[in-house]
Amino acid sequence: MSNRILSLLSVIALSGSVAAEVAYEFVPNFITPPPGKETIGNGHGEIAVDSAGNIYVSVQEANAGIQVYGKDGKFIKALALPPSLHGFVIRKYGDGEHLYAAVLGEQKVIKCNLDGTVVMTIPTSEFPADKIGKGLKLTNCDVAPNGDIYVVDGYGQSHIFVFGAEGKFKSVFGGPGEPLKLANAHKVFIDRRFEPARVMICDRGHKRMLHTQLDGTFIGEIATEMRNPSSASFHGDLMCVAEIAGNVSVWDKDNKRVADLGTSPKPTNTPGIEPKDWQQGIVTSPHGITFDNDGNILETEWNKWGRVLRWNLKK
Amino acid sequence: MRAARSILILAAGGAVLAPLCAFGHGAEFLSAKLTLLPNAEVLLEITADYGGNPLIADEAVAREALIDPIRLRRDETLVLLTELSAASVTQHDNWAEFAPASYLPSDTEAQPHTLITAAWRWRSKTPEIVFEMPKGKLHDVLLWTRDQTNPDAPPKWMLLLAGDRSKAIAVHWQPWWQRWQTVMASSVFVLALGYFVSRNFTLRQRTL
Repeated sequence: MSNRILSLLSVIALSGSVAAEVAYEFVPNFITPPPGKETIGNGHGEIAVDSAGNIYVSVQEANAGIQVYGKDGKFIKALALPPSLHGFVIRKYGDGEHLYAAVLGEQKVIKCNLDGTVVMTIPTSEFPADKIGKGLKLTNCDVAPNGDIYVVDGYGQSHIFVFGAEGKFKSVFGGPGEPLKLANAHKVFIDRRFEPARVMICDRGHKRMLHTQLDGTFIGEIATEMRNPSSASFHGDLMCVAEIAGNVSVWDKDNKRVADLGTSPKPTNTPGIEPKDWQQGIVTSPHGITFDNDGNILETEWNKWGRVLRWNLKK
Repeated sequence: MRAARSILILAAGGAVLAPLCAFGHGAEFLSAKLTLLPNAEVLLEITADYGGNPLIADEAVAREALIDPIRLRRDETLVLLTELSAASVTQHDNWAEFAPASYLPSDTEAQPHTLITAAWRWRSKTPEIVFEMPKGKLHDVLLWTRDQTNPDAPPKWMLLLAGDRSKAIAVHWQPWWQRWQTVMASSVFVLALGYFVSRNFTLRQRTL
């Protein structure tokens, strides 16, 4: 009986993929929560994979802001990091692989080793005072090929701040005014599919994604009329996007939508959907997303109980 | 270790605790509570949170968002709410009354909510109403209804993004024959009453 249900779910996931070139298969119950817990815990963050394939998920747990899972989805450990790592990435630059995170509740950026040791902090005082507005509300960061760190004030004024690899302020662009006119620029990423790399902005308030050059010069819109793009990840020529109003989408390098996964029948945007109301393979409010090293997709949701979904690349 | 952390927190004058309470955010939509009243009357109360919605920076933006948040579709035209009735506007901090439980903002218990609600009340000319979000609208609208006759039932909701149209919502509408039935029944009653009075009055005259 359960095999039948799994097969049906696979068919549903496949039928949601609109392009012939790429298809995904939903993997039910992939994550095994920490011992003693039925779910992973209050989620309002991000998910990322290191070069070894381990999976990092941020949760709002005091002094245990990141949970680490193996490739098989089994819990390994928690890292003693702040509980408000709203956005983070794992990148290799300089002396190895590090986790760069925007700490929403403490208005700062941290760079950590993968064991959770903080090796650098960009404090509030390093941000230009005239762009802080009523207070920074930092939602994500990423690292450019030259080591520059891009940080977005996504719940604040949607400015994008650029810092050198050592954490010194260099420049700022974006914000609510011309030319980008951003509103709730929820997360920004460095899109290395292009040479030179670009900045990819999830302009969630306007339901669009857009590209700029690394200096902030507008290149163009990637897509509009989305279900509120919240986060993204890249693998090869593909980009996957978490749309918080109830969809996961996959895009090619020509900005063409090639797959939709887990689409909620009706739009949603809340952390309040209880586990009893979760449906296998159907998202609630996608908030963070990543490809793993093999092109499979992992998504984490804005959800008080915490939820991670996985789709495997159908080869 | 815990003791040391507590001392550190105290030494910082609670500065560590404050951010811990502040990393949530409020609703990223306008909450539109729809109440269906007798005789095809409709009450629509739309609430904006300028304390927690990242898209609403201050009171002025909240008030602007409530000027034309959603429209009523009537045949092929979209009707402004202000054409249906004048809005009454109130300020308060009571989210629980103006959003369904599963949509209440989370992790913001320590944050004051600063809410503005605009209310429109009108009598529907049709048995069903449909709302629509014009394209290009910045603020999503959570349209939800509570069944007044069954308050324990979970409210029905739909999140409308720019360009979306709601399902048709039935108002408490009396079909024409029912309204005629009422009129006829009233008429018969009046006639019967008149006949009864007239007859009794006549009898009294005869007795006299």
